[in-house]
Amino acid sequence: MTPRVQIVGREFRLVLGRAVIWALILAATIGGRAGSSLAAQTAAPAQATQSAPLAPPTPPTPPTPPTQPTPPTSSTSSTSSTSSTSYSAAALYNLGNAFARAGKPGPAVLNYERALLLDPGDPDIQANLRHVREAAGLAPASPSRFDRIATIAGPRICAWVGLLGLLVTGLSLVARQRYSGHRRKLSGAALVGILLMGTTLCNAIALWPTLHAAVVIAPSAAVRVAPVPNEEPSFVLPEAELVTVTAEHEGFVLIHTKSGRAGWAPEANLALVVPKH
Amino acid sequence: MTIGVFSLTAAAIAIAPAAAANNTSATPAIGVTSSALDATIEPQQISLGESARLTIVTSGSGTLSVPLPVVAGLEFRVVGEKRLVQMIHGAAIETTSIIVRVTPDSTGTFTIPGFTPKAPPLVLRVTPGDGAGASSAPDDEALLGRSALTPGTTNANGIRLTADGSAFVRLSTPKHEIYVGESIPVEIQVGMREGFAVSVNGLPKLNSGDFTLNNLSRQPERVEKSIDGKPFTVITWRSLLSAIKPGSYSLTFEAPVTVRIRTRPQRETMLDDLLGDPFMQNVFGATVQKELQVTSPEAAFTVLALPTEGRPADFGGAVGSFKVTTDVSSATITAGDPVTLRMHVNGAGNFDRVSSTMLGGDGEWKTYEPKASFNSPDPTGFRGEKIFEQPLIPAHSGAQTIPPIPFSYFDPGTHRYETARSAPLTVAVLPSAADSTASAPAPTADSTGKPIDAMHGGLRPDHAVSDAAVSNLVPLYLQPRFVALSSALALLFFGGWLALRRRERGATDTHTRAASRMAESFLDRMSAASAAGDAALFFNTARAAIQQVLSARQRIPPEQITAAEVDAQLGADAADIRQIFALADEANYAGRALQPADFERWTQIVRRQLMSTTTS
Repeated sequence: MTPRVQIVGREFRLVLGRAVIWALILAATIGGRAGSSLAAQTAAPAQATQSAPLAPPTPPTPPTPPTQPTPPTSSTSSTSSTSSTSYSAAALYNLGNAFARAGKPGPAVLNYERALLLDPGDPDIQANLRHVREAAGLAPASPSRFDRIATIAGPRICAWVGLLGLLVTGLSLVARQRYSGHRRKLSGAALVGILLMGTTLCNAIALWPTLHAAVVIAPSAAVRVAPVPNEEPSFVLPEAELVTVTAEHEGFVLIHTKSGRAGWAPEANLALVVPKH
Repeated sequence: MTIGVFSLTAAAIAIAPAAAANNTSATPAIGVTSSALDATIEPQQISLGESARLTIVTSGSGTLSVPLPVVAGLEFRVVGEKRLVQMIHGAAIETTSIIVRVTPDSTGTFTIPGFTPKAPPLVLRVTPGDGAGASSAPDDEALLGRSALTPGTTNANGIRLTADGSAFVRLSTPKHEIYVGESIPVEIQVGMREGFAVSVNGLPKLNSGDFTLNNLSRQPERVEKSIDGKPFTVITWRSLLSAIKPGSYSLTFEAPVTVRIRTRPQRETMLDDLLGDPFMQNVFGATVQKELQVTSPEAAFTVLALPTEGRPADFGGAVGSFKVTTDVSSATITAGDPVTLRMHVNGAGNFDRVSSTMLGGDGEWKTYEPKASFNSPDPTGFRGEKIFEQPLIPAHSGAQTIPPIPFSYFDPGTHRYETARSAPLTVAVLPSAADSTASAPAPTADSTGKPIDAMHGGLRPDHAVSDAAVSNLVPLYLQPRFVALSSALALLFFGGWLALRRRERGATDTHTRAASRMAESFLDRMSAASAAGDAALFFNTARAAIQQVLSARQRIPPEQITAAEVDAQLGADAADIRQIFALADEANYAGRALQPADFERWTQIVRRQLMSTTTS
């Protein structure tokens, strides 16, 4: 290799390193704000969960065995609490356990589903959700292989992985344009970045149905053909049933069951897994 | 091809039977073109006060005089003539129909002799009638065009026309002996004669409380049919008919139809007789539209009760002919995971009564309520496939067998109960890590000292809340700020990439322009040296130009371009370039005279090298 090429390679590494550092600093600055001050929340998780209405009233101290959380006195508290400021997978899981012990499978399943959104790989959440659904007489959920693989990591991790993929891809493509002598290596790096972004996309595809799902929190929910209260129900949804919501109209929501049935159910009888802000 | 020519007789011919009997030699005749002759009378039975229509059909060429028959008690009146010309293989065949109204003046059986020696006689029966029918069905109705279809009577095909001959409702069933609960496919046809019936104003209605009609097709079939030579539009609905209770019952169907009826009174029918065809009558405004309820002939059914003897315990009311198969969603699963058992019931019958509890809890499998779905290519749902899906969870790992699933039904073909069974299935159940974790001793205990799992039916214990909290359950990558950040980064990178690309292109253009100017300069100097005949200056300039070219390619100083470098870089052109270098040295030190053609040749070689550099 000629001295000229050595100079170019050294310059390339220097520029690339500086670009990565600046990009990470920029991402951390903006992304930290976007992620609701992730670092600050990580430093004080107990405070965050304690202030949330969804969190158990008596949050356990991490080193000691957890105490039994007390469920809210009514199911509406579980839905109204969705406007809270923070959610924790463990707190939601504990709240689901509390509702399950209180014999309220609907709010229990709702909180388990929310906990799974934050920590999809937790076997305890999966086991208790399956247990409560079985106890309520509902068929256990059977996710597809794609869903299982795509949700191995939580959406938060997938978000950062995707951002890293975007950085790697962008920097590689820019450097590939600047330093033509390293095109093959930089193309490989861009491909790796695209794969990282693909994992985020797969996670989003797998979680998309859950983002529009709702759980029946009332003992039963009558489903009608039209969104009017005085019409005869066409069928009844059992408590803890998971349905997909596609529209809403004056206190009613249009739901679709997994078996393909559809109709309008009272909005008060259901709670969205991902509440609207 | 058929060409219809309709002509109306200018004057009717009326013959009083008595007068005809007195003067048989002077029997009036009708002139027809004929080589073959046929005659029919419709209907063959009428009430007193009604008229029948005698149609004399001739075909072929030539003219034949046919005398009108003379029968005591019958009045014959020619009211119209219809002529058809058919072109068959280029030959025109003419058919003429003479329409004669036959009016009895007494009851009884009348025999009209055949019109040819070999033709059988025609028989007309005249019944007393009820008077009302005669007044409501004037003689003109006999002229509306009916042959074997007789208004008010049911023919062999189960068709009964309305009194004015405009429409009918017909029920078609495969059998008339059915079992309670059995579904049989039926066809309900509403026929409307063109020009008489206008429209069907609703769905056909079942007139019986002993039967039910299910799955009436929403899109009926509409076909144009010729029934007994008359054009009809037939609308067909398909449905399933079921009987409610045993016994002997009959049913009818009725449909609302709008028809055209005639408005002229009996005494003013002369014009109608002259007009003859209903189309012509409509043109002259002789009809109005009216809604009628057209009813089908009564269909009798014998409804049998399902036998109690030999009835299986799991019989759920399915009647028909069915086959059963089963399969599973996966032949290999992990312990604790559900597997879906599917039972396919194929066949024909009352699928609304096809049900199954599928697999019951037997200790080996935890079972759930099955769900059913029905697929049918048949719009009535008589044939198809009903699929039951039941989630199962194995209780143990290893090779687990799903036992045969029975399905009992009553087969009306064999008149006995049948039980179809599926084949047993085997599912490999692998042990899972989660199961081992779940089966581990309860890690915590509550304040009373009882294990948590024992208290709460298998719930796993609470977690210590040590994870990070988030303000929004929407995944971070879907939150607006994160999307904005990602978009900004993507735009940033794209902008950088675009800027670099533009800069590189700009640098390339600059280099190209500089190289072009340099090439022009060298070539000008070589041209001047050539004009002056200075070989030394020419080759020195040529060598300098080549050195600049190779220097630009290799990014090394021009003075370092040697003959070895020329060999390495130029390949096929190396010989010429190396010779330029040699000639330059020779011209410098030994002097050399060149011909103008030589100057031109070397100039072309150098120009090619310079151009290749500037274009690259």
